[in-house]
Amino acid sequence: MANRPGAERTAVNRAPRQRRLGVVVIDPLPVVRAGLSLLIDDRPDMEVLAEAGTVEEGLDVIRGIRRSRVVALIGLGLEGNLKGERDAFWLIRTVRERFPAVAILGCGAKADSAAISRSLFMGADGYVDKNVEPIEFLQALRRAADGEMVLAGPPAEWVGVIADGLEHQRDLETTLTAREREILVVAAQGLTAREIGEQLGVRERTVTTHLGRIYTKLGVGGRVAAIRAAANVGLVTVGPAR
Amino acid sequence: MTMAPIRVLIVENHPVLRGVVRLACEASPSLEVVGEEEDGAAAIETCLSLEPDVLVLDLNLPGIDGLEVVRRLRSAGSEAKILVLTDRTDEQAVFESIRAGVDGYLEKTTGVRVIADALSRVAAGERLFTKEQQRVALDGLGRLARQARESSSLRLSITPRELEILEYASYGLTMKQIASRLGLSPRTVETHLARLYKKLGVRNRVEAVSRASALGLIDLT
Repeated sequence: MANRPGAERTAVNRAPRQRRLGVVVIDPLPVVRAGLSLLIDDRPDMEVLAEAGTVEEGLDVIRGIRRSRVVALIGLGLEGNLKGERDAFWLIRTVRERFPAVAILGCGAKADSAAISRSLFMGADGYVDKNVEPIEFLQALRRAADGEMVLAGPPAEWVGVIADGLEHQRDLETTLTAREREILVVAAQGLTAREIGEQLGVRERTVTTHLGRIYTKLGVGGRVAAIRAAANVGLVTVGPAR
Repeated sequence: MTMAPIRVLIVENHPVLRGVVRLACEASPSLEVVGEEEDGAAAIETCLSLEPDVLVLDLNLPGIDGLEVVRRLRSAGSEAKILVLTDRTDEQAVFESIRAGVDGYLEKTTGVRVIADALSRVAAGERLFTKEQQRVALDGLGRLARQARESSSLRLSITPRELEILEYASYGLTMKQIASRLGLSPRTVETHLARLYKKLGVRNRVEAVSRASALGLIDLT
């Protein structure tokens, strides 16, 4: 993590008309962070405000930023500290909810369309692939800062699959009944079927039946995968309450 | 050595325009018109049987419209390139066309003059979209993401109890009947419903039921 307050002053000289664009680079790989920071700091109209290597650290640095025209570049390979449940998508959603003025760009290396759909669904303003040319990468940052939707890297034909993916994510949660949703939310707290039953006032057997039906509907094999799938589409929130 | 001509199928329900496109193709030695259709159902059938290289497609067609033609051809595995030629300039049409997987989008006002060139380029694998159209496609994607997110967070904010009450309400039960079914006081049911209306941004039961159904919260069938 590196805050660079000194960079503010030069901004006035180099880009007098529009405020310099500030970038927060959040990626698990130090080499990627360093490379992107070099690239960004080399441009007169933008600067790296901070770097972070985990979702928690990323949220921390964003919380500390007080300025406009900020883009959070979030590496989709990020995994959190809590059994990987607070991942890049969690971070995207949290930043979108708590810091609506910050533009968010998901960033990955040859990400699949599902990961891109999920990023957008969670609240990203676009996706930029690490394999694009530097000039295209920088342009993506500028466009995101200007409030545009950005898709740099994925083939143009992906608009269709990404759109389908978005609707799929939305529909996934409407397939569960209120009761199933309730059970899944409680299950996400890590309780056993018996404990879930006690909390909701139903028999253990009923809980197991519900869970089985949930797995079938979500197309998953077990509880962890179900919670993950549900968390990914925003059905349950995993991690400490706000 | 001459290359085999590009085989073109024209789907356009306006006879004059169909004629213009055919003339444009006939004027170019590299293009050959293999068929003409004027409605969606016939377009799908002919395209699947003739397997043209490129389909020139109007969006406003009687019966099955152009977008649906694209979707059905794509899901049937047709590899024909599809060049939309339309007078629809609205963003929805552009977004839905790109989403459905067309290879190019021309507006009739300007498109007719360049149609022969556009057909050759699309046949060669080029994707013909203006910067503005690409922009529109991305905006559409952004809008879709926002809607999906909003409808999901709204769903998340509604409690199982509220949903239960709404389900009963959708069967036409009175406040009193719902209360007795759930073992609650009518007052409590009223409070739940009022809270639900606020979340859904509606004023009465009919609106609530229709909005909830549109969001997929309850099933009216």
